[in-house]
Formats: sequence, C-alpha cells, structure tokens
Amino acid sequence: MKKRLLSVVLSTAMIASVLSGCGSSGETQAPADTQESAPAQSEESAPAAAEDADKEPAAEASDEEVTLTVLAGQSTTDAGIEDMIDEALAEKYPNITLEWECVDWGNDFQPKMQQYMQSGLPDIMIGKAQDVATYAPQGILGEIDSTYLDRVLDAASANVTIDGKTYGLVYNALYQGVYYNKDMFAENGWEIPKTMDDLQAIIDDCNAKGIIPFASHMVDTWSIGNVTMQFAMNDVFNNDPTWGDKFRAGEVSFSDSKEFQTAYEYNKLIFDNTYPETFSTEQTDCDARMVLGEAAMKVSGSWSIQNFLDIDENFNFGIFPFPNQTGDSKLIFEPNITIMTSASSEHQDAINCVLDVLTGDKDLAVEIYDYTKTAAMLKDVTPTFANPSQADIDQYAADGMIVDVTLGNNQLVWGGFQEENAKDIAAWLQGDATFEDALKASDGRVDASSAN
Amino acid sequence: MRESKKNGMEKKMERQYLVMVLPGFLIFTVGLIIPMLMAVRYSFTNWDGMSTVKSFVGLKNYMDLFQDADFRSAWWFTIKFTIGNTIIQNVLALLFAVMLDSGIKAQKLYRTAFFVPCLISSLIVGFIWLKMFSNVLPEINEILGTNINFLLFGDGKTVLSGLLIANNWQWIGYWMLIYLAGLQSIPADLYEAAKVDGAGAVSRFRNITIPMLAPAITICVVGITTGSLKVYDLLVSSTKGGPGRASTSIIYQTYATAINGRQYGYGSAMSVTLVIVLLLVALIQVKGLKKKEVQA
Repeated sequence: MKKRLLSVVLSTAMIASVLSGCGSSGETQAPADTQESAPAQSEESAPAAAEDADKEPAAEASDEEVTLTVLAGQSTTDAGIEDMIDEALAEKYPNITLEWECVDWGNDFQPKMQQYMQSGLPDIMIGKAQDVATYAPQGILGEIDSTYLDRVLDAASANVTIDGKTYGLVYNALYQGVYYNKDMFAENGWEIPKTMDDLQAIIDDCNAKGIIPFASHMVDTWSIGNVTMQFAMNDVFNNDPTWGDKFRAGEVSFSDSKEFQTAYEYNKLIFDNTYPETFSTEQTDCDARMVLGEAAMKVSGSWSIQNFLDIDENFNFGIFPFPNQTGDSKLIFEPNITIMTSASSEHQDAINCVLDVLTGDKDLAVEIYDYTKTAAMLKDVTPTFANPSQADIDQYAADGMIVDVTLGNNQLVWGGFQEENAKDIAAWLQGDATFEDALKASDGRVDASSAN
Repeated sequence: MRESKKNGMEKKMERQYLVMVLPGFLIFTVGLIIPMLMAVRYSFTNWDGMSTVKSFVGLKNYMDLFQDADFRSAWWFTIKFTIGNTIIQNVLALLFAVMLDSGIKAQKLYRTAFFVPCLISSLIVGFIWLKMFSNVLPEINEILGTNINFLLFGDGKTVLSGLLIANNWQWIGYWMLIYLAGLQSIPADLYEAAKVDGAGAVSRFRNITIPMLAPAITICVVGITTGSLKVYDLLVSSTKGGPGRASTSIIYQTYATAINGRQYGYGSAMSVTLVIVLLLVALIQVKGLKKKEVQA
C-alpha cells in the first residue's frame, strides 16, 4: 500500500514536471511575439533617428546608468577589441557599460544564440554577416537605424538586408584567397597563376625544389570547410549563383555536380602538397612555418595576416584567388564583424549610443582595423597597418574581380552543413571514407543546408 | 495500545525520512528528471531549437537513427573507447594499487603523483596531450634521432590510442586509490591463514584479493564504463571529434546535431538512446558484479 502510495506521489511529480516542461513552451514563443513587434519598433525609431542624423552625438544620451549585455562571437583575430570599445564608450557615454560574453564564433555562437532565444536575447550580438540570414527571419533582430547604416559602405549592407530592412551593421571585412610568399615567387620566377595548369606548374616546381607548395592546418576542420567554400564560390556559385536553392529544390546535388566535385577535389590537391602532418599542425605553427620559408602558399583569409606579421613584421606576402576551371576566379570578400541588436531590448537608446561610438569614432575604428588586420567597412576610414597584400586586393577590386562569400554562406549555411561536410572531406582525405561517401553525405544533409 | 504506539513511531520516522529525502528528490527532479522527460518529448518532434514550431513526427527520428551512418560511427567509436578504458584503467589501477600496497618506499609520493592528473579538468588534459603529441614528443624524436610516430591525434587509425593514453593518464590514479582503500581493508589474517595452508602469491591474489576487492571492482567498472560512454570534454580540446569523424563520440555527435545542426528533435532522440544504454549497462554491471561480492 505504502509502495503504491509512493509510486503515485512519484508519478504525480513526474507528470507535473512534464507539464511544467510543456509550460515552458510559452516562453519560447517570445521570439514570435517579438517578430510582430520588431518591425513596428524599428519603423517608429528609424524615421526619428533619420531626422536626428545631423545632430551630434547621433544617439540620444541620457544620464541614466545602463548596462547592456553583449554576446560577441569572435574569430581568433577579434579577441581583445572589447577593451577598445569599452574605453571609447566610457569616454563618450560614461553612463553606459557593456557586459561582454565573448565566445568562439565557430563553435559557440550558435549554441549561445539558441540558448538565449529561449531565455531572452542579449541587447547586442556580434557575429558574422551570414548570421543575419539565420536569425532575422525568426523575428528576433532589431532593424539597424539608418543613421548608423549611412556611415558604412553601401556594399556592406546588401547581404544583411532582408525584405528591405537591414538587421546587421557590417563593421569590417576579410579577404580570402591564396596567400603567397612574394619574395619566394620572385626568386623562382613564378607568375600569379590564373588557371589550374599555371598553379600545377608552380606546385611541380615547388616539389622539385623541396619547397612545400601549401601551408595548411587540417587539424582544424573549419579550415577545410572554409577553403571548400572558397573553391565553391569560384567553381560553382560564379556560374550558378542560386546553386544552393536549386540543391534544396532537388534540381542539383553534390553527387551529380561536376563543379562541386571539383571544389571537393581541390582539397585533395592541397592535402597531397602540404605538410605530411597537416592533421596535427595547428594554425600558429602552420603560419610560422610559411613565414620561415618552408611553404610557398596558403589558402586562407585575412585572419592569417595577424599571425604572419606577429611572427615577422617584414614578411612580404600577397594574395590571389585560387584558380578555377574557367580561369576567371575572383578574390573572396567576407563581411566579418557584424553587429546585430535585439528587437525586444528595453535599452534601444543606449544601443544606439554604442552604434554611434562604433560607427562615429574613427580613431576607435582604425585601432580595431589595425589590431585585427582587417579591411574597413566604414566610410572614410582607412587602416594604417602595413598590409603587403593590399596592393593585390586593390588591383582585384579595380578589376571587379571580388565576390562576396555571403552569397554562398547564406545558401549553404556553416553550422550543421558546411561544417559537417568538412568532416566528411577530412575522412575522405584520411582514407576513412570514399569520395562518393563524402558527396552522398552532403546530399543527405540537405535539410540542414538552410537556417530556415 | 502498544502496537498503535509503535505505528505512531514508525509513521513519525517515515515522515522524517521523507523530509530528509525531499531536497535531494526536488534537485534530482528539476536537474535530471525534467530535462530527461523534456528530451523524450522533443525526440518525437522536428524542433530546430530556435523556432516556436515543434511539430510531432512520431517515431521518425528514431527510425532515421538506424539509417544514420554518422550516428552508427559515433556509437562505434564510443564503444571502442569504453571497452579500451574499462580494461586498461581497471588492470593498471589494480596493478598500481597492489604495488603501492606492497610496502614500497616513497608510497605517498607515488600516490600523489598518480592522483594529481585527475584533479585537472578534462579540457586541459585534452589540450596538454594535443601539445604533447604535436610538439613535445616529436621534439624528443629530433633530439634522440628516432622516428617514432607520436602524431597520434592526426590520423584516424591512431586517434583512439592517443585518446586512451590521455584518458588513462588522467584517471588511473583516481581508480587506483579506490582499489588501494579496498586492499587495505582486507584482513591480514586471511593472507596468513592462506600462507599456512601453503597458498602461493598468485593463488592468494586470485582466491583472496580479487573476491575481497569485488565491491571496489563493481565501483570502478561501473564508474569507468559510464564515464567513458559520456566522453565529450576531452575530445573538444584535443581532436574536436576528428580527424574527419574518427573520434566523434555519441555525445559529441548529439551536440553537433542538436545545437550546431539545429536539429534539436533529432538530437534529443540520440540523447535518449544514450540514456537507455547507460541505464542498461549500469544495471547489468551492478547486478552481475554484486553477485560476485563476498563479505570478510
């Protein structure tokens, strides 16, 4: 009898706990509520802010002490900019304090966002441009005031604008392609390769001379995912800008697409011509060995510049796009630090003050660009750090040979898709899976290829 | 009259027991039972972890698990890791405990040295061994002019060995202490009686030490098995589940699917399978090993 009674009590407790679990779904509806309120809020605030655009300071500052929460999904190069922002903010708006939560963008930003979407978003979120496509359709992001958008380059807002509303403020940009040792290229008489035959000739010459053609750190699976998208941009999206949408519609697939297969196979080209211990080589070691002249090239992005110059400030390097099959490959441009705001924040004025500092304080901007070794997305702001690859970038920009990778990243998302595909590519390179297995696995992941 | 007094006393004691159990029960319910039941509930939906829509999909997630090569591969790695750990850690921990119990010099020093690694977070242990295999040990190769392959984390064929080394380095000292406590509680007269009867060292170990250590063996085997089945943090800082998927454990796969892959419902189904396996393994081991336990 007593046992029966106890079992009834326990069962009741469990059922109650299930019901309380069900009850929590009410809280999860918060984003839906904000979905409707977000545009209304921003529609009201945007014109008002536009009228005040000429006033200084742009944001309404009050003396009330405000603490804003910030979730910063950072790349390795970004760690440390929070102190610079704090300092500049304290100078102009001493009543506003930022409470930072800095996480690794690749591994932890999405889990954190998922968590906060249940419990309430931070006031400000710093991620990448591609995050806007993931989170804006959920109705949780606030529209960025035109006062601040007017201070960034027009091109920066294209891929963070959905249905005419801009939900992200792109602050800086990375360039991706093949970084090369300029002195080594000059000494060996190598020209910048335009076609795969040109590149193969350099690889052959490197091998003949005992130089490792490519520096790489495949221990970081993200680096495989990153270069695969670089390859895909030039071999797939250059020819078919809606390939990802067609993939979801069932019109194309990895198993049938010769172009995407070529993009995957370039990984093998790198793997066959890099450090034998690439799966045990960390990024810093990899970059150091390139700077020391062990390797000639590295398929990478601007994040490597910080390492290159830290190891040797006189390292002379340039950048060119990884050649494609048609000889018209473009340098990859990636909007990086992207500031998003919560649609349901109670501190919109204070958020605007932060945006004002970020977009209006040119000294701060230069300090951040110089520190992260990245390109400016603010109008009339030029970094002052010596970037030996800048001349190459300027030339590709002048020739119109630059493409925004957000096009590919928005169609085939990083988390759950590119990231997982990279693991299968690594397994294939290691001989643990066949090439066909890797393609089939990518096809099987079609439902995870889009954030929405 | 006397019986009703006894009943009253018993009731009072029962109430006291319930009051004492209540805080633990509440914490257990809120921290474990509720999330577990919520996971079961989500496992029947296609929730992405972000939207408000949680459509019921019945057993689809569980059916899909059988077709999922990544899920199977994660379980296969987890099983190999668990078996390897359970055997190596138990054997070495017992061996070290017997050595330390044999009255060797500097016993305290050895005990401390063996125990210290388990005080370090698994995340740090993973990082330490990543550096050991990638930088420190290859440097020794250079110094000695040898060509030993220390790059164990860099190859799918050797990554399991590398992780077993790291995990055993961390935990052997902990389990060794449990065995040592067990050894020290065995009455010395049992050994003396066996000696008088002419039993040799091996015979004494097999017929006295092992049976008397059965409770400690139960604790160690169940602890190591369930701990290994849940491996995650060691992988995060060392191999990140790679190269490729060569060291992706079931928890790592669950996290990657549910959180990074935005398939919360499907990931919940994965976690439910883990809970079931953990319960079954623990139950079978405890039942099986308890039968072998003897009292002094």
